[in-house]
Amino acid sequence: MPELLAGRRAASRGLFLIATGLAGLAGIYVLALRFTPVERFQGLPQKIFYVHVPAAWSALLAFSLVGIASALYLWLRDPRLDLFAESTASAGLVFSVVMLTTGPLWGKPVWNTWWTWDARLTFTLILFFLFLGYRALRSALVDPLERARFSAVVGILGLILVPFVHLTVYLFRTLHPQPIVLKPSAPSLPWEMLRTLLASVGVFTVLLVGFVMTRYGLGRMGVGEWGHGAGEGRDHGS
Amino acid sequence: MEVDPTANAGYMIAAYVATAVILVGYGVVLWRRVKKGPGD
Repeated sequence: MPELLAGRRAASRGLFLIATGLAGLAGIYVLALRFTPVERFQGLPQKIFYVHVPAAWSALLAFSLVGIASALYLWLRDPRLDLFAESTASAGLVFSVVMLTTGPLWGKPVWNTWWTWDARLTFTLILFFLFLGYRALRSALVDPLERARFSAVVGILGLILVPFVHLTVYLFRTLHPQPIVLKPSAPSLPWEMLRTLLASVGVFTVLLVGFVMTRYGLGRMGVGEWGHGAGEGRDHGS
Repeated sequence: MEVDPTANAGYMIAAYVATAVILVGYGVVLWRRVKKGPGD
């Protein structure tokens, strides 16, 4: 019963954060369209930047957290870490879908192609497929201990891939622009654009936390297919 | 080369709509799950 209450509380707080984040997303649209200048060389498609980059940030942050939680799970065998990893992986996949949808919509008018097999795009797609595999693996395995252990290994592989995805623009010749904020020198953006980008990163991070908390809470409540994390996990230590 | 500031607006609109649909959609799925509760 305390597990159910704790799950319900986490889920409710998560839903509140999601609602706050979605309201914030509406605010970001107003900020980007009304109060942020149009870039001279790319025109309006450059404004896709304010959803594409935060989505990429959230996805890579989520996949990093999955890897860290997975490593901690293999060490501590705490089922809550497995549930957290599962919840975070699902949220990461959602943000990956946003990233992989908005990227081609930006690429077509600017690069004149929807997709190109350059290093950044290809490794991002591989990371996406790796976490699709993570989800498929979890669905395929019935034994909760086996599921947690095997998926933790995949989660750690994803963590190894994350910095490589970030560095591809330095390691290979690529069409994808180099980082303009997360780089050793100062951000190379006018303040009006940087302000909108940072606000959007904040909103997407709130959404990420909300998605993870809600799904984590559902797992602890034992709802539907997400019910394996709390109850069955109690056997881990025995 | 500078472009017409209003050109290719459709790509931006499509990206903003897709982002909202995906994020709101996932939020609704989670909300419905919480609403159903553990009984179902």
